[in-house]
Amino acid sequence: MLGRDSVTGLACLALSLGMLVLTRGLPESAMVPVGPAFYPRIVLVLMAGLSLLLVALDWRTGRAGRPAGAKAAAAPNYRLVVVTFTAFIVYVVLLPLLGFRIATFLFVGGLQALLEPPRSARRWALVLVIAIVTTLVTYLAFEQYLSVLLPRGRWTEF
Amino acid sequence: MEVSYEHLFASILAILHLKYLVPLLLGTVAGVIGGALPGITITMTIIMVLPFTFGLDPLQGLAAMTGVYVGGSAGGSITASLIGIPGTPSAIATTFDGFPMTRNGEPGRAIWVGVWAAFLGGLLGGVFLIAATGPLASVALEFGPWEYFSLFVFALSMVAGLVGTSITKGLLSGAIGLVITVIGSDPIMGVPRFTLGTDFLRGGFPFLPVLIGIFAFAQLMSDIEKMRRDGSSESTGPMPKLWVSQPKVLWEILSRPFLLIWSTFIGILIGVLPAIGGSAANVMAYDQAKKFSRRPEKFGTGIPEGIIASESSNNANVAGSLVTIMAFGIPGDAVTAVMLGAMTIHGIQPGPLFISQHPTIAYGIYAAYLVALPLMVLVIAAGARAWLRVIMVPKSILIPIVLVLCVIGAYALNNIMDDVYVLLIFGLVGYALVKLGVPLAPLILGLILGDQIELNMIRAIATDPSPWLFLTRPISGGLLLASVLSMVLAFWQHHRAKARGATAEEEDVDF
Repeated sequence: MLGRDSVTGLACLALSLGMLVLTRGLPESAMVPVGPAFYPRIVLVLMAGLSLLLVALDWRTGRAGRPAGAKAAAAPNYRLVVVTFTAFIVYVVLLPLLGFRIATFLFVGGLQALLEPPRSARRWALVLVIAIVTTLVTYLAFEQYLSVLLPRGRWTEF
Repeated sequence: MEVSYEHLFASILAILHLKYLVPLLLGTVAGVIGGALPGITITMTIIMVLPFTFGLDPLQGLAAMTGVYVGGSAGGSITASLIGIPGTPSAIATTFDGFPMTRNGEPGRAIWVGVWAAFLGGLLGGVFLIAATGPLASVALEFGPWEYFSLFVFALSMVAGLVGTSITKGLLSGAIGLVITVIGSDPIMGVPRFTLGTDFLRGGFPFLPVLIGIFAFAQLMSDIEKMRRDGSSESTGPMPKLWVSQPKVLWEILSRPFLLIWSTFIGILIGVLPAIGGSAANVMAYDQAKKFSRRPEKFGTGIPEGIIASESSNNANVAGSLVTIMAFGIPGDAVTAVMLGAMTIHGIQPGPLFISQHPTIAYGIYAAYLVALPLMVLVIAAGARAWLRVIMVPKSILIPIVLVLCVIGAYALNNIMDDVYVLLIFGLVGYALVKLGVPLAPLILGLILGDQIELNMIRAIATDPSPWLFLTRPISGGLLLASVLSMVLAFWQHHRAKARGATAEEEDVDF
């Protein structure tokens, strides 16, 4: 099985090679001795070289036998990471559709409930209050005081 | 460039005006709370404060950020001493003796030795900041494009070599940062590069949304991973008693002048070196204090020396980082990287000409830094118990609020959703890189310096096409040689650590 460093190295190698191919379409410069492709090629070759080195080092370590890492105290809670990323992506998608106020209220309330599910009416009330206060305070502070025009909803006009 | 003390005093008086004092005070309070919150670094706090500064005038915004920086550096010691969890990576070494001191029944002493050491270390660092920035900027004024190119390469090589446990990954991280900067129009002809025909990528990736995305998600998702499976919050103990005799605590520090000065020196030095940051400074200062001590065996049992070394070095580190950004335009750590972004939004380019072109802002930053130190002491004195209650806010409440502020920070830059999409993309990238064990500091520095490296390289070649000039011009050649030496040193240290059987540590997401 591929080691973590090999995955990193191969991903970066693929990216750098793909971008190197794209530099072929860039024009030469009439003003300076080097064109717009000159510097990108240097950094992409550097990245490709380092990626290969990382893969080679990982392969060598793998052959020598990977040292057993220190055991973590608890397994990472990836379920909550996926939940948070999903909630954030939904928030970003809904922001221009529902507008800042509605989307932010739903996001702050929803993510709180997902991260720590409320088990009592009091806790639900707290979740709602925090969602309302966060939305109102950020909206008023940025729109009224700091002159930032926050997104309006295409669907809601709000 | 001589220091104008008249200008400095005038700036201090100006900062004491409510217009600047209020943002500075609010920034300091935010810094103390953010610094004290375990899992919320100073970088995260400054990212949260950033959108509030867009509508302010440049000095008001920078004063708020300076307050966060100074307050955060000291705030981290509160949780480090009271619950044994460093509020920020720059307070890691404070836990070594601060927490044992609390367990020995002296929580007030643990906190206040830390606060006063931070104050005194910060003050000494401030003297260096004011005295050294001008002369260093004068040196940088002599630089041509060859020297700038080599300086930036040196900064990058240093960070890649010194951060993290794998030099190859550090360098690769720096290269990823450089590659991100080549996306978008080229700096000479404006030819679109790697834009895949979309307008979205034509202007390249804006720096601040990338920075916020990478740091915020890397940090927050790492915290979320550690949350309990049932979603419940950590329980907290009763409020400790924090009263202590202040003169006695101050004497504890002042009676150890060598320790204070040496730790401050280490803090400044690490701060001046690009992007290494307070997390390295406090551990290094603690290690030095232990080596020089007549009672090294007592370290770790709750003695004041350990707290003094850690706290004085991490606040002096703030001053060192400010020197580097103001004299060379290179951020000393992630916090100054955000400050650099904020300055460019206001049309200010930090660098050698910064002090001469924007003296009011430069002296304003000096003044804000000096005023923030006593403010930090007052803020902690006035509200230590109140801040402790805020610190105990569950992560499930804090994280959604922080994410909303990140979105506003990215959106408010240009009032467009594209910057929020960039935030999301680099949030995913940042978390993936953390999981792959790639250090983030070199990437950020590559991202900051990439455009400047390309611009100076092309300027140099356009002036004289001979590439040998990079090596034969004394300063440029010296800097390139220093880059090679720093890499050799990093390889040697890495090899030595391996030979000693050192175990790999988790990457820290803060600089």
